[in-house]
Amino acid sequence: MRLLRFTGFTLLEYLRSGRVAIEIVATLVVYFVFLRRPMDAQYFFSALGIFTPVLALYTTAIIIGLGDRPQSYVPLAHGIGRGTYLLGLFLSACTIVFGAYGLLSLGVALLNRPVDLSLGDWLPGSLPLFLNIGLLAALMLLLSPLVLSTGWRLLVLGLIALAFSSNFIGGVMLEALPETGRALLRAVQALVGGPLVPAFYGFQLAVTRDFSTPTAFANLLAQALLLASLLGLSMYALSRRDVMFSSQ
Amino acid sequence: MTDVIEIEELHKAYGSLPVLQALSLHVAAGEVYGLLGPNGAGKTTLIHLMMGFLRPNQGRLRLLGSTNLERVRPRIGYIPERQRYHTRYTAREYLRFLGQFSGLTGAILHERVERELATVGLLAAADRSLGTYSKGMLQRLGVAQALLSDPDLLLIDEPTSGLDLAGQREVIELLASVRARGHTIFLCTHYLQEVELLCDRVGVLAGGRIAAEARMRDLRDVANSVRIRVGALDTRLRAQLESLGGSVHCDAQSVRLSPNTPELQATVLRMLLDAEVAIMALEPLESPLERLYLWALHSVPPTSAEARGVLLPSWDANLIAAPPAAPPPADERPGKSDTLLSELLGRSETDGEADSQR
Repeated sequence: MRLLRFTGFTLLEYLRSGRVAIEIVATLVVYFVFLRRPMDAQYFFSALGIFTPVLALYTTAIIIGLGDRPQSYVPLAHGIGRGTYLLGLFLSACTIVFGAYGLLSLGVALLNRPVDLSLGDWLPGSLPLFLNIGLLAALMLLLSPLVLSTGWRLLVLGLIALAFSSNFIGGVMLEALPETGRALLRAVQALVGGPLVPAFYGFQLAVTRDFSTPTAFANLLAQALLLASLLGLSMYALSRRDVMFSSQ
Repeated sequence: MTDVIEIEELHKAYGSLPVLQALSLHVAAGEVYGLLGPNGAGKTTLIHLMMGFLRPNQGRLRLLGSTNLERVRPRIGYIPERQRYHTRYTAREYLRFLGQFSGLTGAILHERVERELATVGLLAAADRSLGTYSKGMLQRLGVAQALLSDPDLLLIDEPTSGLDLAGQREVIELLASVRARGHTIFLCTHYLQEVELLCDRVGVLAGGRIAAEARMRDLRDVANSVRIRVGALDTRLRAQLESLGGSVHCDAQSVRLSPNTPELQATVLRMLLDAEVAIMALEPLESPLERLYLWALHSVPPTSAEARGVLLPSWDANLIAAPPAAPPPADERPGKSDTLLSELLGRSETDGEADSQR
């Protein structure tokens, strides 16, 4: 109950601060630029599958900024635990992005509905996207100065860069490495790139909405587990460190 | 009487920068304790440690009989420094949210919010956005939010910081009325006047530890020093005045009485009037609290147990030596600087006795 109240408190402040205008404008721009043309369901989910994660990155960063201020000592002093505090910020960011997703879906359904998109198609397409939005919001939370110290943040960022490195370390560069180096790099890329698979496959799943194989359900589960792991890691990290809000 | 705050050998450092070093402190139930210290001494760090925002590196911290600070937090009211609140809300909305966070609901929540708004005199402005509040009003709101859950312990950090004179007076009067409710209060400040007006006991935080501690009652018993500014003093009158005793110090245009007594002051003033010397002003010199504070800041705090044993009263010395003994009740508890005080304030023990007999 405290979690919901704190989420409501954060959301109300976000709305009253006027910051939500950015999300509203971005949503309108996406609708008028990308979603007014004749389209099918695949195009709809592709467009939203790109826009909403970007929006999740922005909104979570702003919400974290709101939460990382000296004002926040007061709710903490009133019995909002550290974990509840983080989850409240996370839920607030997700609610705003889900709201934008909902508005776009509603606009499309009312004004420019693709012939192959029914409510029965919308739900399975949206679920993996919602989980991806959650994953990005949780990752942003983990990377915030509130949760991890600079050293740990650099480490996590380094691992993320390594996970994506197969896209830019290849060909001649890879050939220049000795055999053991190449093997080691591939192993590390596979290891740290593993957690990216559910997110990318989730996007694909949203576009295709092909739930005919068990892999699709396994991927949803993997996305959910990854989300829980990221949130758990953030909560654990914050529970172990000093709470020192930025003195802005 | 039980101790509400028990801190022993507390250490806290930010990286390699030590802030608190072997700090020990006890505050009894119902007591109002003032912690003085300059900016950067570690006062806010200590309060944040007590609130559980920070983790100590070493030492023991027990509040309201428990070392589990999360568990006792609902019984603690906290007034933060610099009036930083969520200004997008009205006072009533904000207090309602905070009350809900503290687990209050329904009629009790409504009754508490209205009661505390009335206590701090914000009922008329309760539906105004906090963004329109003055700093003084925000600080009053701070008091209201801290009292919402009817706490046993109030931790107050620099309550008048950044306020103008009127705002300071308002907040001090408000805290004086809160004091009457019987809460245990721990007040951090660098304003001596707040401590003089509100506290039962004072400690000075310097060098990461309590460098001096005294009961306000004892400090109040010590006479203040005064300076009498005069038009001009001839050498004969100066000699006559100085023959009154070692407390009278003259120069060409002033007479300093240190330490002062009402009788001595009356005698000196009578002699000046009889000699038809123009009296320009009678002004207090630094108060005993000010002298204690300055001494604590400018002296090197003792580092060895031996040195502490000399300076500190026996109950504190017992704490240093294992096993620690329970400190006596607060009203019997001497200040850390009792022996020091006499020396510091230029009084011998016999002077003190003589004062009390007068």
